[in-house]
Amino acid sequence: MPLTYPVKAVVIISLVLLAGAVFVTLRPGGGTQVFAEETTVIRVAGSTTVLPIVSRAAERFQARHALVKIIVNAGGSGVGIHGVGTRRFDIGLASREITLKEKHRYASSHLQITVIGRDAVACVVSSEVFHGGVRALSKQQIRDIYLGNITNWRQVGGPDRPIIVIDKEVHRGTRHVFMQYLFGKSNARAPGARLVTGSNNEEQAKIAQSDSAIGMLSIAWINDEVVGIGIRDGERVIQPTLDNVRTGRFPIARNLNLITAGEPQGAVKQFIDYLLSEDGQKRVAESGYIPIQLPHTVSWVAGSHSK
Amino acid sequence: MNKQPLFPERGPAFWLTGLAAAISAGTIGLLFVSLVVESVPVFKSEGVSFLWGTDWFAGEVYGALPMIYGSLMVTGLAVVMVLPFALGSAILTSEFLSGRVRLVVKAAMELLAGVPGILYGLMGIALLAVWVRDLFGLIDGNTLFTAGLLLAVMILPTVMTLAEDALRAVPGETRDTALSQGLTRMETVMQVVVPQALPGLAGAVFLGLGRAMGETIAVMLVIGGIDRIPQPWFDLFASGQNIPSKIGREAAEALGFDLQWSALIALGLVLFVMVMTLTTAGHFLLRKAR
Repeated sequence: MPLTYPVKAVVIISLVLLAGAVFVTLRPGGGTQVFAEETTVIRVAGSTTVLPIVSRAAERFQARHALVKIIVNAGGSGVGIHGVGTRRFDIGLASREITLKEKHRYASSHLQITVIGRDAVACVVSSEVFHGGVRALSKQQIRDIYLGNITNWRQVGGPDRPIIVIDKEVHRGTRHVFMQYLFGKSNARAPGARLVTGSNNEEQAKIAQSDSAIGMLSIAWINDEVVGIGIRDGERVIQPTLDNVRTGRFPIARNLNLITAGEPQGAVKQFIDYLLSEDGQKRVAESGYIPIQLPHTVSWVAGSHSK
Repeated sequence: MNKQPLFPERGPAFWLTGLAAAISAGTIGLLFVSLVVESVPVFKSEGVSFLWGTDWFAGEVYGALPMIYGSLMVTGLAVVMVLPFALGSAILTSEFLSGRVRLVVKAAMELLAGVPGILYGLMGIALLAVWVRDLFGLIDGNTLFTAGLLLAVMILPTVMTLAEDALRAVPGETRDTALSQGLTRMETVMQVVVPQALPGLAGAVFLGLGRAMGETIAVMLVIGGIDRIPQPWFDLFASGQNIPSKIGREAAEALGFDLQWSALIALGLVLFVMVMTLTTAGHFLLRKAR
């Protein structure tokens, strides 16, 4: 059969499209992508604790800089650090420090930390447990719950119900900080756990849904259903409040970090500078976290409480 | 024309479609090969204990058994729960409904089969997990049972419509003959039509299982996410983990690095083999039925 006109046309069009696709895909790019000469895309991902600040800030920033597009994604601190280390993101969000292992792994990316706010991780329980009498726990009690030595709320002055212990994915920033506090080891195991959750939303939802759960959550995510309890230290009970974090009394505090590969530059630097400006710091407060008073860039002396 | 060549016509259309087919087949082959290659490091480091180990902790030890167990358990549960409903409604639709009603039911089922998993997942976490907890008096509703139930709901349309096809494939004369011999409608269906359609029905179930085994997001939201085999092992009301959910939770962090990545790929390989086996068996049985 001779080649008919429509078939020819289809062949030619397909080949042209294919060539175009190959050209577009193989075009040199990477790092900050530049479209149509002017629009700059900033790719951001990581900690769901830091995310609300950055989404709020991105909205404002984009309103003022029409040529910058900021794409914000979740995933967790580990994902944020990994993504910047492998240059898939321009800014990684981390609610913990960079571990030694991560530092070695991404040595060639020269990870830089910029602190944009302060936060604390509270031990949270279902509201039913709180109203059932559990207003505070000692470090040892929380430790025993996560180890599976204490399995009923009755054992710590609460209602007679089994404890649903909620753990988080191992790379999550909140878990690193919480485990570091409890066991002195950011990747300690929690054999008492019954559920493992990922993002703050997921953990918050599962604790709210239950009437006997315990978990770990950034204080900005505490609400009527998911109540932050005090940490008992002898006679003293320290409540998870912004004031207690600010004064350094509450023991499980942390920095909220932006991670970049090397010194931030161009639009990325502009955006980070905005986050550190007065207006940007208002977004930090608006999201329920503590603004840092003096904007400063800390080059990575990280690992102060991570291994 | 006396002798048919293997490829009767080798015009441009042949080469073009041939290229498309080769790319499709090559993709599967390449996928399999890269899964094998990338999972070599973890098998080297963990040996067979990768498959039999019950302990998984990123950066320390990789034992996949809890995930394999979870996958088998939830799909097994799903099939047990879906079978009576899918077969029942397939028999009703194929044997007892009039042509137009049948078409409406079929269209609805096929539409349902295309509903994205995330929607089932949301329903699962918002409603099903709570119902299961309250109905069975559990302390928590995120269990293997919940995941199995959710999967059963998800694969019901697929299994039902394929099973219905299998029943329809039994020729009309068979029914007429049976009826003319004095068998009742029910006897005709149960003793003549269903036995003849059996391979096809099995195929439908296998294909449904294949979908259930690979489902990620819906299961991830209700299974509990803990890499542990319950004590005792048949306690379905405990939380667990299946392979897709495990990969979903850890992949973004491990992307392209270290043993953890290799371990996740190896998990993927195990899943690939399991799903391929089910799907191939399903297609084989379905073809035999026609």
